[in-house]
Amino acid sequence: MGEPVLRFDSVVTRFETTMVHEGVTFSVARGEIVALIGASGTGKSVLVKEAIGLLRPASGKIELLGTDVCRAGSREMNALRRRFGMLFQDGALFSSLTVAENVAVPFREHTDLPDALIAPLVGFKLSLVGLDVEAGARAPAELSGGMRKRVALARALALEPEMLFLDEPTSGLDPVNARAFDDLVRVLRDGLGLTVFMVTHDLDTLSIVDRVVVLSAGKVIADGPLAEVRSMQDPWILEYFSTRD
Amino acid sequence: MWIRHEIENGASVLYLDGAWRLGNLRPISTELESLKLPRNCTFTLDGSRLGELDTAAAFTLCRHLAERGCNEAMVGTRAFAPRLEQLLGLVRSRMRTPPSEAKSAHRGLLSRLGVAAIQDWQLIKVHNAFIGLIAVELAALARRPKLFRARETVSQFEDVCLDAIPVVALVTFLIGVVVAYLLGVQAQQYGAGIFVVDGVGLAICRELSPILVAVVVAGRSGAAFTAQIGAMKVQEEVDAIRTLGLSPIQVLVIPRLVALTAALPLLVFIGDLFGIAGGIAAAAWQLGILPVTFIDRLHAVLPMSAITVGIGKAPVFAIFIAVIACRMGLLVSRDARSVGENTTSTVVQCIVSVIVLDAIFAVTLQRLGI
Repeated sequence: MGEPVLRFDSVVTRFETTMVHEGVTFSVARGEIVALIGASGTGKSVLVKEAIGLLRPASGKIELLGTDVCRAGSREMNALRRRFGMLFQDGALFSSLTVAENVAVPFREHTDLPDALIAPLVGFKLSLVGLDVEAGARAPAELSGGMRKRVALARALALEPEMLFLDEPTSGLDPVNARAFDDLVRVLRDGLGLTVFMVTHDLDTLSIVDRVVVLSAGKVIADGPLAEVRSMQDPWILEYFSTRD
Repeated sequence: MWIRHEIENGASVLYLDGAWRLGNLRPISTELESLKLPRNCTFTLDGSRLGELDTAAAFTLCRHLAERGCNEAMVGTRAFAPRLEQLLGLVRSRMRTPPSEAKSAHRGLLSRLGVAAIQDWQLIKVHNAFIGLIAVELAALARRPKLFRARETVSQFEDVCLDAIPVVALVTFLIGVVVAYLLGVQAQQYGAGIFVVDGVGLAICRELSPILVAVVVAGRSGAAFTAQIGAMKVQEEVDAIRTLGLSPIQVLVIPRLVALTAALPLLVFIGDLFGIAGGIAAAAWQLGILPVTFIDRLHAVLPMSAITVGIGKAPVFAIFIAVIACRMGLLVSRDARSVGENTTSTVVQCIVSVIVLDAIFAVTLQRLGI
């Protein structure tokens, strides 16, 4: 695979007195789909938030698309923010805006396109993630969980990002919708050449990923293709995969 | 420079050039328009000079061709890098008819007025039904007093009464100062400074303290009730209460209702004291009336009924505030925005109803000669 686009280098995170990460090191290459798994409370979401600059680690280095996230100034961060998309766990759609307006926000804020160009683009982004154009007029509160995630994905993809972060992309979805969402992510990766980094609990989602990183007790205990990680003799990994067999 | 239209061997070829990216979409789209491509014609897209392509640019191109009557079968591709070809394929397969322009959500003034009137009328009906519901639950409580949640009620009482004392004291003290000062300016002209005591006593105890305290409490506790219950509604806690076989009205509404009904008369009494204290301060400073003289005069002229009427109004205000606030909290739908909307609505409804009630009291009690 290509050069790394996301690199964690001995990242240490501390909340008050609790240690969350005690030196996390791994990287994600361009075009890869990488899943981060681990028990609840191991700080997986925290790691994602650190990668996109919402939280700051106590020490260590995080490099995203060639920018040192921990040291970047606000202008550098803003330039970086246009190059990745983030899908929050429950979508985080703006509840005062309609679906179409939600997807239009990045276009309005970060491009100089006229409304006549934005409206069809928004419609296209919605159909890109498998939604009806008619859904655009609805309020986020009227949507099901699966649709909310798709809208959030359309918003995350608006500015043609190189990198996509997904926080629990299939949680709260039924298996059929969850698989459809997985397929969508893979199709988008293949078609758009995206790099995808996701946090997940869903064993089935792992079938679409290239590499699995396992976080336990503040450290990366496994990093490799699914089959390799699966065969490791760690008690938590064994238990995790045995929930299925 | 982005696109060139050439005829090769009688076939139309479109050469795409440079970085077809979202950032360049504006010039690309202008250039597409200015090409004035023939309608219903077959095209070959040539990607040999194409540097980059993203979905927004690919979509804009496909949409433009579709608008000129070229369906997918009439547009071929050649010499694209495999990755860009794949992307173009994805865009073409996901493309659907472009959406019609977003419908305007703006309504005319008259229809907005009508909608608002209907909504308000429905709100009043809902409040009435809710009062009935509370009455039923109170009857259940009378039969089985064990249902009463004393701990929750006491905790609410602490919130709405004890914690409100500083702000109530401050507001009424200042109003006492203002009333005494304004009355003093007038009374001094007639050399009747001492009558300020009559005015301050009556105005504070009968009208100003009850209404001001009720408004402060509506803004403070009413808003808090709606926000608390609304947040619980968003988190599905209210459904959980119901599922556990408890009544949300017993658990959430009655403790707040009882606490507020007990608290407001006490707050009004505190308001009376501080309002008069404000009057004493202003009278001493402006008119030179000694505090002792002020209190002596107050004893002589302030009828007991002024105080009892003022305090007597308080529970009625309290019931309205609590019922409206709890009801608006339970009406919150499952999104964050409606918590804010309903909280705003609660404060407005509470303050308006307090003033309306006060007007009704004023007229009725006057007629009754109290």
